[in-house]
Order: sequence, then structure tokens, then C-alpha cells
Amino acid sequence: MQFSPARPRPASNFELYSWWFMRISALVMILLVGFHLFYMHVILGVDTIDFDVIAQRWQSPFWRLFDLFMLVFAWLHCTNGVRTVTDDYIRSQGWRTLAKTGLYILAFVIIVLGAYVIFTF
Amino acid sequence: MAAITNLTRAVTYRGREGQIAWMLHRLTGVGVFFFLALHIIDIFLMAFGPQVFNSLLFFYHQWLFKFAIVFGLYPGVVYHGLNGIRVILIDFWPDLGKKQAMLFRVQIVVFLIIYIPSAIIMLIKMFGGHA
Repeated sequence: MQFSPARPRPASNFELYSWWFMRISALVMILLVGFHLFYMHVILGVDTIDFDVIAQRWQSPFWRLFDLFMLVFAWLHCTNGVRTVTDDYIRSQGWRTLAKTGLYILAFVIIVLGAYVIFTF
Repeated sequence: MAAITNLTRAVTYRGREGQIAWMLHRLTGVGVFFFLALHIIDIFLMAFGPQVFNSLLFFYHQWLFKFAIVFGLYPGVVYHGLNGIRVILIDFWPDLGKKQAMLFRVQIVVFLIIYIPSAIIMLIKMFGGHA
């Protein structure tokens, strides 16, 4: 009698890398976003933040790099998370493809806009 | 109707701590997704200079938005981060899975220790002195 394997081998390792990425980006963001929230909201406060405060911070390459890392890690983590949610809840293949296409276009636009302002400011 | 049936099933499914933790992780994750899109676009407006950027800040200075930050977005981010740490711990040390319910309670305590004092400071900064 012929048995088929209980779980077919995946065609690629993409989901494995995605799993690792979520964990690594999570640990990076605990530090980056933790500091970001603490500094911007507990030390400064939302009312004190304006154009000059951010402009002054971006004088330093360190903060530009900090914000760039936060942008890329946070948005890719977000995108991958919503990709999982899409896979779970959108059963129709057509709608799922449409939703994911929109998700990836949004990811491209968000990262390009964010990186543009960090680099060119 | 299907949506209501699914919702009833989702709430009455007896997953206890693990299920609640998972649902909150999804909910906060998707919530942060939408806020973060807005937040990155508003920072992009820095490229248009101080007049444009500062004139749009009124949005963030409204009391309704401040309430949404202190009682929605901020606890959501803190929860998502702490729950993520718990998930990672159980992933890499599977024996901890036996104590996941206890870990979830520890997580709630850590959440309150981080959230309550910082949220009070945020509220004082937002509404103290000038409102």
C-alpha cells in the first residue's frame, strides 16, 4: 500500500524565511520602536513635535538611519502580517490575489515615500 | 449571517488565554498597520516644508486623536510587542508551552507596569497646563 506524505514538501523556503523575518524584525523593533515611543511621547510629548523638531533630528545621520531602519522593518513586518491575515480570511482566490497585489503596491509606495523624505531632507 | 455565526464561534471557541492572546495580537497588528500607513505619509509631508507640515499637525493635536493614541494605539503597540516576545520565547523554548497560560498572566502584569505610568505621563503632557 502506498502512503503519501502527511505534509507535502513546500515548493520553496519562503514561508520559513518569512517566519524568521517576523521574529528578527520583532526583536529589532522592540528596541527601535520602544525607544521611539518612549522618547517622542513620554519625554517630548505629541504637542511639542513640529517641523523644526524633526528637521533638527534629521541633521544627524544617526537618526536618519534609525528612522530608515524603523520604516523598513516596521512596514515589511506589517505587510507580512497582513499577508497572513489575508491568507486566513479571504477564501476566494481572485479576491485574495487582488488584496495581496494592493498590499504589495502599498508596501512599495510607503517604503519609497518614507525613504525619499529621509534621504532627501 | 455567516459573519455572525463565525463571530459567535470565534468568541465561544474554548481557547482561553491562548485564543484571547492570538485574537488581540491580530487585532492590534491590523490596527497598527492602518495607523502606520497614515503616520509614514504624514512624515513624508516633511518634504513639502514647514508651512504644509505644521498646518496639518492640528489633526494630531485634537483631543479625540490624543485619546485614540493613549487608549488605542499605544496600548495596542505595547501589547503586540509583549505578546510577540511571549510567542518567540515559546517558539524557541517549547517546554515553556506547558506554562503558556501562566506566561500570559505575567505578560498582563508586565503590560500594566509599562503602560500605566507611561500613559499617565502622556496624559499629563497632553492635557496638563494647556488643553
